Amino acid sequence: MPGGGHCPDCGSTELVEDSHYSQSQLVCSDCGCVVTEGVLTTTFSDEGNLREVTYSRSTGENDQVSRSQQRGLRRVRDLCRVLQLPSTFEDTAVAYYQQAYRHSGIRAARLQKKEVLVGCCVLITCRQHNWPLTMGTICTLLYADLDVFSGTYMQIVKLLGLDVPSLCLADLVKTYCSSFRLFQASPSVPATYVEDKEKMLSRTLQLVELADETWLVTGRHPLPVITAATFLAWQSLRPAHRLTCSLARFCKVANVELPCPAASRLQELLAVLLRMAEQLAWLRVLQLDKRSVVKHIGDLLQHRHTLVREAFREGPVGLEAGEEEPRGQCGGPGQGKEEVASGSCGLPVGKRPASPALLLPPCMLKPPKRACPPPPVSTVTGDENISDSEIEQYLRTPQEVKDFEKAQAARQDARSVSNPP
Amino acid sequence: MDQNNSLPPYAQGLASPQGAMTPGIPIFSPMMPYGTGLTPQPIQNTNSLSILEEQQRQQQQQQQAQAQQQAQQQAQQQAQQQQQQQQAVAAVQQSASQQATQGASGQTPQLFHSQTLTTAPLPGTTPLYPSPMTPMTPITPATPASESSGIVPQLQNIVSTVNLGCKLDLKTIALRARNAEYNPKRFAAVIMRIREPRTTALIFSSGKMVCTGAKSEEQSRLAARKYARVVQKLGFPAKFLDFKIQNMVGSCDVKFPIRLEGLVLTHQQFSSYEPELFPGLIYRMIKPRIVLLIFVSGKVVLTGAKVRAEIYEAFENIYPILKGFRKTT
Repeated sequence: MPGGGHCPDCGSTELVEDSHYSQSQLVCSDCGCVVTEGVLTTTFSDEGNLREVTYSRSTGENDQVSRSQQRGLRRVRDLCRVLQLPSTFEDTAVAYYQQAYRHSGIRAARLQKKEVLVGCCVLITCRQHNWPLTMGTICTLLYADLDVFSGTYMQIVKLLGLDVPSLCLADLVKTYCSSFRLFQASPSVPATYVEDKEKMLSRTLQLVELADETWLVTGRHPLPVITAATFLAWQSLRPAHRLTCSLARFCKVANVELPCPAASRLQELLAVLLRMAEQLAWLRVLQLDKRSVVKHIGDLLQHRHTLVREAFREGPVGLEAGEEEPRGQCGGPGQGKEEVASGSCGLPVGKRPASPALLLPPCMLKPPKRACPPPPVSTVTGDENISDSEIEQYLRTPQEVKDFEKAQAARQDARSVSNPP
Repeated sequence: MDQNNSLPPYAQGLASPQGAMTPGIPIFSPMMPYGTGLTPQPIQNTNSLSILEEQQRQQQQQQQAQAQQQAQQQAQQQAQQQQQQQQAVAAVQQSASQQATQGASGQTPQLFHSQTLTTAPLPGTTPLYPSPMTPMTPITPATPASESSGIVPQLQNIVSTVNLGCKLDLKTIALRARNAEYNPKRFAAVIMRIREPRTTALIFSSGKMVCTGAKSEEQSRLAARKYARVVQKLGFPAKFLDFKIQNMVGSCDVKFPIRLEGLVLTHQQFSSYEPELFPGLIYRMIKPRIVLLIFVSGKVVLTGAKVRAEIYEAFENIYPILKGFRKTT
């Protein structure tokens, strides 16, 4: 309570220094009468200390953070927003970027690498939350080369000692399938091509699982397999109208880029389905080929576990005869060749189910590109005598040296003539 | 999200044997690198026996200041007694099997000629189990030992360095040698090649040289000596100092497909599998410090070794883990 001063209204001496926003006032605490007030407006120089300070400047964090790191952090946030990721992902990705920046190798890296690092942090965050984001997507968004991206990614995972889970295939299928523009009729999508999303998703998932089980996914880029599976699922849901559509046309209609390997994955998947079809009696008589088997994909998927077990075998033949339950038609995996006459089997050769093929990755089924000869036995000790003649063969004779020098000089002259200084 | 039903079959109910859950630390692996009493082929046993004998000799000679020293000494005493019995047996068998081995496979005889064990003791083979040192006597080991794989990795490439001990004029070398190429704008070294052993060398002006492409340590050494001779004949006072093997690369085939997705799930801290980037799984083994590239076809590439034994040991460590991922329906 300041000394001297009475409130003109009530006469009390309880006067309080209070300010109404930026205006200082002397107020009576009993009746609220404003006794005196300060100047409402101030000059710019007066306000030197009263100006608003942004939060980031008040904490001083940007004094320690370099401009390129600030730019990188902004890029991380932007990328998260472009990808429409949940907000928690943003914080995690930013934290990873800051953590990476503490290493001198990253601080001194080129701008291109720092740009790619932004994508790596976002990718790691998504992987850890099982959000299906492929490296191809990030590279497209960042206009980055996959080689540069892969180098930086491997380096940063090792540097930060992170545990990055694998890409979740089922989630990727769901996200990728949803991006196909086939669920509503439009000028570019004929009515017969439109498909129900749920049905297509569930069938695609089953086909991808089948591909996984039959070694078509391990070691390969996941996206082409999913493209092929989506195409087959879509075709099989309405084969009458869709069998004429090719894979390339399908991707064009659906407004999705066709990955190169998808065509060969499609062939591999069809081969697997054909093998499975041969185990079903009512399909065997139809003599299916790669086009007609599409009509029966629904049936094949329904019994896929049993059919895969029967259509394929694991290891060498003849050892597992005891494990297979005796089938009514023919004894289990007897011989590898289909033409072998089997006395125990009552059916003629053409009607018998094909003997099981080996369930192996395609790289193991293909014949080796070149025969690998066994390496010759080497009895080198490392300390043998080296004959002079052997070394002489690697040295030029004086005549050769002269010729070489002449040729070099001639080339130099020719070059200087053609490029006049 | 309903993820549980789409868990891939190989990850469900993984009937992993003990070996599959161990990290690549051989201390946990109950078997010795080159064979136990369960190994059926006697040929393998004798190879491993000669190695083990040398190994034992070294372990006795060298002072190993390790925590398990006492255990080792006890193990060695037991092993020595058993070894004396075997040496008589082995001497007879070795001579017989040497010829057999050389006929059987082109891979194993190199074990006889290998001199690399003189460089360092085998890391990580500190015997916690005394009995497996005796592969000839069919003692059932205390722990369920998986038998040795019977597969020996093939060495594919050896990188070595040597110091020729004098400054070199690369232009002169490129001018006067037939098998040399030198493009200073592209790379600051002469690239020289010889036909036998088929190798390539990078020769720098400081006198240091890198020799690559040999298939064994001895071949690498011989090749490096030949390059030094060529440089000598070109008029430089070349010596042969500090020859050292820097890296060895080996490869082999386990002959069954491997579920890489399952392997990366159970051995997360050692494996890196990015099918979008590379079709193989990169397994960084800690002991010995070897990097393995494991492919779905069952082919394995091992690299980063300084001695041959590290490659063999790494493969013997990884084999039980890989067998655990052999799909058994």
